[in-house]
Amino acid sequence: MKLHHYETIFLLHPELSNEERETAVEKFSSIIKDDQGQIVNIDQWPLKKLAYKVQKQTQGYYVVMDFGAPGSAIEELTRNFRLDERVMKFMTTKLDDEFDPEEAAKKYAQKETKESQEQAETSEVDQEQKED
Amino acid sequence: MQRPQQNRYKRRRIYVRRKICRFCADKSLVADYKQPDLLKAFITERGKILPRRVTGTCAKHQRRLTNAIKKARIMALLPFTSGHAIE
Repeated sequence: MKLHHYETIFLLHPELSNEERETAVEKFSSIIKDDQGQIVNIDQWPLKKLAYKVQKQTQGYYVVMDFGAPGSAIEELTRNFRLDERVMKFMTTKLDDEFDPEEAAKKYAQKETKESQEQAETSEVDQEQKED
Repeated sequence: MQRPQQNRYKRRRIYVRRKICRFCADKSLVADYKQPDLLKAFITERGKILPRRVTGTCAKHQRRLTNAIKKARIMALLPFTSGHAIE
């Protein structure tokens, strides 16, 4: 089956504990995996203030999943998001029609090296300024 | 050379500074709905998307920016309007 490259962001209820959130993320990632999907990265954001109230809540936990999956997995994922009461909002975007796991993983590897490089650069700049 | 003409044009207008598209200037910068802090620079206090003539964004990047802002709104990362703001 052909895999497409997707990105899903969903908003979890703020009153969930760490373990409850972990099980929720585990559940959705297993849905992807069960349908021959491959997960590249899961990014769990800390508790964030929302721009407007959602289900009377002012805060929430965002989770971003970057993965490759066939279209049928998205249907299943969406159905589960709708049923699950822990999820307040969700959105899936197709990043690309083709999914290349190595290419997708590169993005995250690069990001890390870039950040460390930037840190090094800024410290260099600081030093230059001091010399001036 | 078109230079002299341009100068005359500029003199007539009192102060016109050509703004440069931020996304063209910095190639690594991408309009991403997951970065509400970046997108905030391109919306008004009421939450409206600022026009190109104000921000100087190029047409290509304005299209992407608009889509990113709209996605961010859907995910409650940015407000639709200040009227629904919390507090």
